[in-house]
Amino acid sequence: MSAHNRGTELDLSWISKIQVNQPAVLRRAEQIQARRTVKKEWQAAWLLKAVTFIDLTTLSGDDTPSNIQRLCYKAKYPIREDLLKALNMHDKDITTAAVCVYPARVCDAVKALKAAGCSIPVASVATGFPAGQTHLKTRLEEIRLAVEDGATEIDVVINRSLVLTGQWEGSDFIKTSTGKETVNATFPVAIVMLRAIRDFFWKTGNKVGFKPAGGIRSAKDSLAWLSLVKEELGDEWLKPELFRIGASTLLSDIERQVSNLYLWSKLTGVFEKGIEKPN
Amino acid sequence: GGGAGVWTPRSLSCSTSPGSTVVALVPPASPTPLLLAQLAGELGSFPGILNVISGPASLGPVLASQPAIQKVAFCGALEEGRVLRRSLAGKCVELGLALGMESLLLLTDTADVDSAVEGVVDAAWSDRGPGGLRLLIQESVWDEVMRRLQERMGRLRSGRGLDGAVDMGTRGAAACDLAQRFVHEAQSQGAQVFQAGDVPPERPFYPPTLVFNLPPASPCAQAEVPWPVVVASPFRTAKEALAVANGTPRGGSASVWSERLGQALELGYGLRMGTVWINAHGLRDPSVPTGGCKESGCSWHGGPDGLYEYLRPSGTPTQVSCLSKNMNYDTFGLTVPSTLPAGPEIGPSPAPPYGLFVGGRFQAPGARSSRPIQDSSGNLHGYVAEGGAKDIRGAVEAAHQAAPGWAGQSPGARAGLLWALAAALERRKSTLASRLERQGVELKAAEAEVELSARRLRAWGARAQAQGHTLQVSGLRGPVLRLREPLGVLAVVCPDEWPLLAFVSLLAPALACGNTVVMVPSAACPLLALEVCQDIATLFPAGLANVVTGDQDHLTRCLALHQDVQALWYFGSAQVLFVLFCHIQHLTLPTGSSFSGNSPALLEFLLLRGETP
Repeated sequence: MSAHNRGTELDLSWISKIQVNQPAVLRRAEQIQARRTVKKEWQAAWLLKAVTFIDLTTLSGDDTPSNIQRLCYKAKYPIREDLLKALNMHDKDITTAAVCVYPARVCDAVKALKAAGCSIPVASVATGFPAGQTHLKTRLEEIRLAVEDGATEIDVVINRSLVLTGQWEGSDFIKTSTGKETVNATFPVAIVMLRAIRDFFWKTGNKVGFKPAGGIRSAKDSLAWLSLVKEELGDEWLKPELFRIGASTLLSDIERQVSNLYLWSKLTGVFEKGIEKPN
Repeated sequence: GGGAGVWTPRSLSCSTSPGSTVVALVPPASPTPLLLAQLAGELGSFPGILNVISGPASLGPVLASQPAIQKVAFCGALEEGRVLRRSLAGKCVELGLALGMESLLLLTDTADVDSAVEGVVDAAWSDRGPGGLRLLIQESVWDEVMRRLQERMGRLRSGRGLDGAVDMGTRGAAACDLAQRFVHEAQSQGAQVFQAGDVPPERPFYPPTLVFNLPPASPCAQAEVPWPVVVASPFRTAKEALAVANGTPRGGSASVWSERLGQALELGYGLRMGTVWINAHGLRDPSVPTGGCKESGCSWHGGPDGLYEYLRPSGTPTQVSCLSKNMNYDTFGLTVPSTLPAGPEIGPSPAPPYGLFVGGRFQAPGARSSRPIQDSSGNLHGYVAEGGAKDIRGAVEAAHQAAPGWAGQSPGARAGLLWALAAALERRKSTLASRLERQGVELKAAEAEVELSARRLRAWGARAQAQGHTLQVSGLRGPVLRLREPLGVLAVVCPDEWPLLAFVSLLAPALACGNTVVMVPSAACPLLALEVCQDIATLFPAGLANVVTGDQDHLTRCLALHQDVQALWYFGSAQVLFVLFCHIQHLTLPTGSSFSGNSPALLEFLLLRGETP
């Protein structure tokens, strides 16, 4: 995880001067999705890189230790071994960035990861996820307990009533939404958030991370997200310390797509020598 | 009918749909039109609808002067447009010009800067924009914009056009050289140049370029900016922005970036450009017409206006070429032929000579002389002023002073004035009819002419009410506002026939649309027009309508060469028309057909602009 955001003095005048031109942002979003398509062996490389950004998530009411264990195993071995071997990527330590679970399941996740011999962090949602409408006392206690159990990252739900009345908090990462809303991570919103991150970096030198979550299901989507971050922020932000994708079913679609690419390559004879490690 | 032109593939489709056949001349560097022609040829049933010749621009005048060509549409550089214009003089060929490819981007301090930077990329550093960009940035956000621009330039990639990951390709060695020359010029005049991006170092590739700190007085600041250069200049207030933006001879397209609606619209209305985008750049839709003003041309592409460029009202007579080898164009209308003094006056008492009607009142001409007007029996009917170049200048100046006020009037107010004039004419029917009688018109016909004149005024008054801006909904995200704006000062040279009706029929539409006029009435009998002026003097604001009498050829020449007349309607001999074409080298307005002696009801107009020869 990146160094903590040391924060700055709250300067509301900076916020009030911000202008966002919605139609232009929508056009830019369409443009990025349509024009920057990555193909062939480069696509396979980008997909494997996308895997390393995933916060493998399970947030359902029926989570039990057994499905947590399966999740953690998947986090350690996200892509089939034989496929990785065929692509010559089996020794490159490709795992997801983290696992993300409810506070009550943090213990199980830590135990499962330890058993699998995996050192990736456990992230916990907390503070009255997903609505955030619980007492401050219980929310703070939730965080404390999750950290005690072994979580090293916390996805905090901000108190929207504070936001709507103009009382702000600071953070190390900003996330598009809880993932439990009807509309979650959309490109226009993301563009505005990424530009804000860039502005903050230019003004203060602090790098804040970005995490889109919710609704990212296909391999194609994940490529578009990588493209977006690369276009707006540059390669510096394409690291697990500054970029995460909150997703659950995405991983299986990426695996399917990588497998397709590999089969195609076998037919056409491309990249038999494998691909270089994505950096 | 037949057509010809130098076109982009987009405009090719506009011209073939209404039923014309097309011969297109395209530069050798672009193969797309040839592909299009090949596809058209495969349609089979109508060979020869679309023909494409690949060659240099110098072939343009050759192509345009072929017989059976009825319309030429030209897209390209200003000088070539001028050469084409001159070569088409007197040939009854309609000419549409779309000149220059530069556009403008006006960035205020209330804009979404990141989106505006993307707009700059779209305009100048992509394959979507046709030419270079003049970028005007409000001083308070200059540093921020520069920083974001330069950072964004660093992420641009240039390469072969078909590679999906590149932002811009190349436009050929000629374009590369042009850009190089411009940048060196600018540097030698003191500008700073910033270039960035991932660009192949070989020759036809030129990197995205930002030129700034160019002194406003340097020649480069007035020259057209080539692709892929962006010239950035600061401004302090909206007023200054408009002055800088409108300060070049070009008037193609521009965009205004501001999140404050009022400011955006104010700037949009104030820009003298054919197309203005608000908070976007380069949006195009086939149903929305695009065109330019001033030196950027005079034709429209797309939409109904674009379609009408290739159509003519049914029943229009075919035109006859008006080439004349006997005319000396340099001396045409240069001096006023001397007139013999008139014979003794016959009639009750000598009427005092009419003056010129300029600035709302009758005044004596600069030359202090008059010319006699004879009636149908050869007797002296009256004296009118002998106007000259000085009087024309005075009249045009008076018209310009009245123009902003008149253009700002509501259509209702304009209609009211025209109706008031109509009523005044009817009140004076007997005087006007008796004047017409003296010119040999039968009483009944004379009265009918007066009535018809009043009706015409009323009809145009009603049209003043009906015209205006229109809102169009197109495929683009957001409405399109189409503004009809007055041209400014119109000069009108009336035909000899129908001295009253023609005068009124030409005055009314010009005024109804918000223009002010300088009119040269019928040479045979200007007295009718001067009678109407007596009513105009009491009803209209000063300078709205100005009437100058004198030698028609001389006055026509003065008007044609005047720098500040926005349009000239000429009804007279075809040969004179040819002369006008030859004189006028700088042409930015559409040419309609030329004709002589036709009834004013036809009202096709000829729009020209003069320039120093």
